[in-house]
Amino acid sequence: MGFLSWLTRDSDPASIAAREESAKRQEEIVQALRADRVPPSVVRRLQDAASAKRPWIATLTPAELMIARSYGFRPIATVSATCWMSVPEDTSGWMASPANPHFHGWTTALSRLRAEAKAAGANAVIDVKMRSVSIGARDNMDFTLVGTAVKVEGLPPSDEPIIATLPALELIKLLQADIVPTGIVIGAHDVSIPDPRKNKLKILWRENVEYVELSDLMTTARKMANTQMRTNAFEKGRVVLALAHVQFSRILKLEGEGLGPSAYADRARGHVGARYAARHVAIATTIDQGSKKSREDAMKAHSGTVPSHGFTMVVDMHAGKTPLANTTSHHQSYRMNDEEGGA
Amino acid sequence: MTMDLPAHAQERLKGLRTSAHSTGVFTSDFSVNEFLLVRKAGFEPIGLCVGTCVYHVGIQYGSWKKNEELTVLSKAMYHARELAMSRMRAEASAMNADGIVGVKLTIKRLEWDEHLLEFIAIGTGVVHGEGHSGFRAHDGGPFTSDLSGQDFWSLLHSGYRPVEMVMGSCVYHVAHRGMFAAMGTTGQNVELENYTSAMYEAREIAIERMSQEASASKAEGVVGVEIHEGSHGWQTHVIEFFAIGTAVLPLDQEIAPDKIADPIMVLSVND
Repeated sequence: MGFLSWLTRDSDPASIAAREESAKRQEEIVQALRADRVPPSVVRRLQDAASAKRPWIATLTPAELMIARSYGFRPIATVSATCWMSVPEDTSGWMASPANPHFHGWTTALSRLRAEAKAAGANAVIDVKMRSVSIGARDNMDFTLVGTAVKVEGLPPSDEPIIATLPALELIKLLQADIVPTGIVIGAHDVSIPDPRKNKLKILWRENVEYVELSDLMTTARKMANTQMRTNAFEKGRVVLALAHVQFSRILKLEGEGLGPSAYADRARGHVGARYAARHVAIATTIDQGSKKSREDAMKAHSGTVPSHGFTMVVDMHAGKTPLANTTSHHQSYRMNDEEGGA
Repeated sequence: MTMDLPAHAQERLKGLRTSAHSTGVFTSDFSVNEFLLVRKAGFEPIGLCVGTCVYHVGIQYGSWKKNEELTVLSKAMYHARELAMSRMRAEASAMNADGIVGVKLTIKRLEWDEHLLEFIAIGTGVVHGEGHSGFRAHDGGPFTSDLSGQDFWSLLHSGYRPVEMVMGSCVYHVAHRGMFAAMGTTGQNVELENYTSAMYEAREIAIERMSQEASASKAEGVVGVEIHEGSHGWQTHVIEFFAIGTAVLPLDQEIAPDKIADPIMVLSVND
């Protein structure tokens, strides 16, 4: 991309037509998303896949496909949804849902993914991965979900397809236990405090002491996020799988003036200076233990057409990572959390 | 160029094992487990197949403020991958392979020139143990697949066979936000619609292209699809969406299901 790019851009009719078509498509995408609809170009692809006018596309590995088919799941198409949010560094004071960008971003993406699955005539989306792309711009985050829309043989299309944010093999483990994953719940909390050392110069100089204020700050963020997650789960009338799959936290020192409501409030009280901001995001898979009958009905509907396997539970003695588990890089949106300093 | 193998490559291939030369040496990057499962699936590895292409990526002009596909870069990524893949496939054809399993398609940035990228396709050529030709791709050449040996075995067991690695690429520029637009949302939690729509369009283009490749290869479906995002050292706001998977067809008459041993299905309870 150069300074004089406008001088040299393609000006042949085909390039101009392609740019016009792209602009039209983008406008359709924006209008559709504003109206909570699936973009028309996506609908066309999904309907073609549902009617077998084009090949089905699955994110499943062959082993996952084999097992999924044994449960009567047939892949239809890859579905995906994105909500790209501005995520200011200092959002303290916006901790209540749905204003928190992590909460809003994931729930919006989830809703869009479910709409795509419905457009494909699916009963569920399995193997859903949480993804984020970085384009090098600050203060924003991409909340993307990608998965495989599937139809359960013998069932009509669902009005509200279930979303399983688990690797397909783990989904099968749950199904074996008569438990159906139904979606995700999110808890996110941001909180900040003025620099507590401002009036306590005597501490943290040469001694080994806990930085109590920051410990409390982080504890607050974690507790509030997890409480919010549990509350959301209970509101949905579901049980949360104990093994939440994302627990992301970070702490930042914001030099200069913060922009969140808490920062404004502090300034009103006369405090000017650095602030410490803590953020915690907790995400868990929800499960439904009350739908055993419906699952049995579904199983009955396809029994005899697809072989069902008897599984043996094993402990793999493999040295290092077990090749039987496939969860290592399933979700990568908060992958930097394991690195020093967080993301 | 793709079909004219270098002389040293042909010499190397002559020493390898084929269906007619079963005592020859074979090379592969299979693990022991992969090797055993490929053999269990009724195939024999006959040699490593490699395709390489060092590619100069042309200059791309674009608009700072527009969401748009960067066609020069998209074409470059497609063309270079195609060259690497076709060269690998030519090596497989030369050793009379029925297919290539475990293809790894990688891109390396060459540090001394920012416009150069090296594309490498590498996989293990296999032949059917009983000389069955029904596993070949629709054009009669060897099938290609990025599935591991274990996945290859699983795929056959689930009643499908690999046909062709299919891919879709779209290099896209995500528009920068103007100063006033950025100031208007400073400190606010709002959706950035131009970024969202860019993601939708770019991803849709990539999936659409992969889907077209699958249709062209007469496939029924595509398995193991992954959508990668990468910038390959380009400027900020420029990103490649790359969808890749293995197009598959039902086995039909190609192999009798009872010839494939029943697996013992296990679920690991390891963490």
